[in-house]
Order: sequence, then C-alpha cells, then structure tokens
Amino acid sequence: MTNQDITIKEYTPGKRLRAISFVLIAVGLASLAYGFITDPQRAWANLLLNNFYFLSLGIGAAFFYALQYISQSGWSAQFKRVPEAMMFIIPVAAAVSLLLLFGLDHLYHWAHDGAADHDALLAHKSPYLNVPFFAIRIIAFFGLWILLTQLLRRLSLREDKEGGMRFFERSEFWSKVLIFVIALTFSLASFDFIMSIDPHWYSTLFALKNFVAAFYHGSAVIVLIVLLLHSRGYFDGLNSSHLLDFARYLFMLSIVWGYLYFAQFMLIWYANIPEETVYFHSRWADPSFKFLFYANIVLNWFIPFIVLISQKADKNKTVLMIVCLVLIVGQYVDLYDQIFPGTVGRAAFGITELGTWLGFAGLFSLVVSWALSKAPIIARNHPYLSESVFHHVH
Amino acid sequence: MNRKILVGIFDTEEHLVAAVRQAREKRVAIREIYTPYPVMEAIEAMGKKSRFTLAAFLYGLFAALGVLAFLYYTSVLDWPLNFGGKPSSAFPSFIVITIVLTIFSVTILSLFTFSIRAKVWPGKAYVLPDRRGTDDKFVMVFDKDTLGQDAPAIERLMKEKGASEVYEKEESSENVF
Repeated sequence: MTNQDITIKEYTPGKRLRAISFVLIAVGLASLAYGFITDPQRAWANLLLNNFYFLSLGIGAAFFYALQYISQSGWSAQFKRVPEAMMFIIPVAAAVSLLLLFGLDHLYHWAHDGAADHDALLAHKSPYLNVPFFAIRIIAFFGLWILLTQLLRRLSLREDKEGGMRFFERSEFWSKVLIFVIALTFSLASFDFIMSIDPHWYSTLFALKNFVAAFYHGSAVIVLIVLLLHSRGYFDGLNSSHLLDFARYLFMLSIVWGYLYFAQFMLIWYANIPEETVYFHSRWADPSFKFLFYANIVLNWFIPFIVLISQKADKNKTVLMIVCLVLIVGQYVDLYDQIFPGTVGRAAFGITELGTWLGFAGLFSLVVSWALSKAPIIARNHPYLSESVFHHVH
Repeated sequence: MNRKILVGIFDTEEHLVAAVRQAREKRVAIREIYTPYPVMEAIEAMGKKSRFTLAAFLYGLFAALGVLAFLYYTSVLDWPLNFGGKPSSAFPSFIVITIVLTIFSVTILSLFTFSIRAKVWPGKAYVLPDRRGTDDKFVMVFDKDTLGQDAPAIERLMKEKGASEVYEKEESSENVF
C-alpha cells in the first residue's frame, strides 16, 4: 500500500462554525469595549492574558510540530496539518501584541515614567526593562516565530505538490532551528509579558514552566481539534493506538508541568526569602487567589494525571475530550493566577473576562479553520503517512 | 522422568502467529513460545493478559502513602525538630522524598513480582527447548502428555502453517554457567 491509496479529504469549515466564530468575536469586542469604559486597567490585563493564552497554544503547536520532525515520529504524520494550522494564530497574536504596546503603562509598573528613579532594583534592570527595548524584543520574537513557522508551512505545502524526501529533510533541519529559537525567545517573552508584572520578583524556573505549559496546553488543543474533526468524519484513520499516543503525550506533560510547578513553588516556600515569598504571599492573602492556586494544581496536574493513568481511559474519546476541556480551563486559571494579582490586584471575574476569552476563542477557531481549509487535511506525500495510518501499538 | 514435548520451528513470525491462532481456535493448550525478540501479536494471540500494570499501580499507591505516613511519624509525632521556624508537618518538603521512594519501590517490587511470576532468579537453570529460539527461529512448544491423541493433528497443523521442522524431545534444563 502506498500513500496514493489513502483517501484524503479536503476540509471545508461549516457555515455554522464561521457564524459562531464571528458572533464570538463580536461578543469579545463588545466586552472589551465595555471593559475599557468601566475599568481600563482590567481590560488591558484581559487583553494580555488572552493574547498570551492563545499565543502559547500556537507556540505549543509549533513545538509539537517540530518535535515530530526531530524525533521522526511516524504515528502523528497524518495529523500534522492540525498543529500547522494552529501556528497561524501567531501572526494574530503579533497584531494584538503591537496593540498591547500602547497599554504598557497600565500593565507594568516598570513602564511608568520615573519608576526607576527611587527604586534601586528597577534602576538596575532598566537597561533591559525599558519601553523601547521591550517593543524591539517583542517585534523581533514575533518576526522570528512567524518566519520559521511560515517556512515550515511552505515546505509542507511544497511537499504535497512535488513529493520526495527533500522537504522532509529540510523540515527536519528547520525544526531543529525552531526549537532552539523558541527555547530562547519564548523564555524571554514569558519574562517580558508576565514575569515583569512583578518586577521585583524573579524565578529561574518561570520560563521553563510557562514553556511547558504552552507545549502541554497546545498539545491538548491539538488532541481536541483532531477529535472534533474525527467526529465530523475526517481523520477516519484515527484508531485506538493514536488515541493512546495522544493521551500519553498529555499524561507525560501533566507530570512535567506538575514537576516544574511544584519545583518553583517548593524552592521558594522552603528557602523562605522575603523577596521571593512575596509572590506567593500576594496569591495566598486573598482567599479567591488562594482557591485558584489550588485549582491550578488540580486542573493542570491532578485530574489529567489520575484520569489518564488507565490505558482504557486513554483510548476513550469522550474521556480524552473531557481532559482536554479541563486543560483549556486549566491554562486560563494558570495565567489568571500569574497575571491578575499584579495588574488588577483582586480576583475579578465578570463580563470582561468571559467575553474577552470567548472573543479570542472565536478568533482562534476562525483562523485555525481557515488555515485547515487551505490545504488537504492529510499531508499526501509525507514519507511516514503509511506508518501513521497503519499505526499499531500494544 | 522428564516430560516429553513437541517442538515446532518456524522461520518467520507470521507463520508462528498463524500457528498460534490456529491452535487457540482448536482449544489446544500451548505450553510456551520462544521468540528472539518480543512479538506482540504472538503474545496477544496466546491470549495472555497481564495484570502487571495494576500491581505496579498498587505498589506505587501504597508506597506513596507509606512514605508519607513514615515521614509524618518521624518528623511530627516521634521527634519534631525546629528547622528555621518551619512547621514540623512540612508537607511540600515531604513530596520530593515521596516521589523518589515511590519510584524505587515500584521498580524493586515490580522486579520481584516479575521474577516470581516468570520463575526466574539468579543462578536458576533455564529451560530452552531449542537453542535457535534465541537466534533467528521462532519456537513453539506443546506438552506431549496433555496433547494425548491430538499429537499427530498438532504436528500436521504446525507443518501446514509453515513450520520448517517439527520434532519430539525430552524436556531438560540447562545451566547458565
């Protein structure tokens, strides 16, 4: 059996999905407008949170994609259009990030005029943490991400037309470049976007934790999209072995996430140095934030870990889908607990929060479904396609 | 006296798997199969189910609870010490030790469980009906006595399914050293 014998469907997004996406975007815009009128600070925080949320899904998908090439994984070859489509959220996040540059004053204490004058630590950090350099970094990071992900996309599309091993080899090379670039730039981006909200506090595990969170939740959304497409009649090659592998990805990442989250917390808790513990103090003093602190661990580590231990549960589509939905909430809670104490100062959740997230979700589904429809849903000439279709693990 | 066994030698795993399936269909008890590498399809065809993962999970669960209980006993109940004003029941600092000892317990207990179930331990003489089973051949073994009158039929079955050689021998164990 060769690749030519595998039936490949074209994906066309349903009219209803498009309509829902546009409605959600409208809701998002309305609630953002409402937020800017009532409480601009909170609106900016929401914009930052949701932008980073969906950026991390795109970065996570790009990393997942690169990892499949580097490890020469066969099983996932038929699903590679899904992370490929998710990478298209990065240019959208770039546009929103440019918008965010106008709100730095509302979000970051260090961006205030004269903030460093009476603050030795901010003065010390000011060669790095200043508005022009922040803008340059953000633009450079997004430039690199868009360049590399679009390069991989073009190689993938050319492989569809021309075939041969050449494009696989080149994709593998550029995937290696991509993970090095992401390792450096996404670390710095998480410092810039999130850690600099609390400019007096620092954690060396912060970048790694947020990177793993991106990989983790990006993978969860990949699984969710694959399952949704499967239920609509695409990916009829999806079998229990693929489900098991997807579930193992999430299971493994739940452990890594839990490990890093705990390591960051435990070291700070144990050392008990005031300039470090202040971060967790501000998250424990308020009962709502304290609840979210524990909810974060339950949603992102405990539930996926316990549920996905059993292989029977791993191979169950409904269970897997529920875990993915839990993780979608989990990433929000994680970022909320990182961003809101430093920007808004209280655990506020209302129209602005819900509406903005829905708006971004609509934008995400619009972009991803558009990107999915631009190419056959299965990469026809991928060298590992047959292996992926006949994938069978025990 | 040693038992008499019926040995079939196959050149490929496909032939072996086919023979295993056929024998299972006829409800003939297969004594054992020997393959140079794990052939998952053959293991599945043998109808062997493993509860090993369940055992490992239970070991892990009880090890984790046991370690936590032990740490609580030593550092809270029996001999509380003041480390820089930390509470005696310092749960987060117990976790690291719990993880390490849980992994250790699961590994060691799983190894012992496997040894007992598979009846292998250091210095034990091993049973190898045909040495080529560790090389490039796939070996299937039946107990001659339990087969009784079916023996000729089984011999035919193995040959039909592509056995390159079928013979009888007395089972014997060899020493490793």
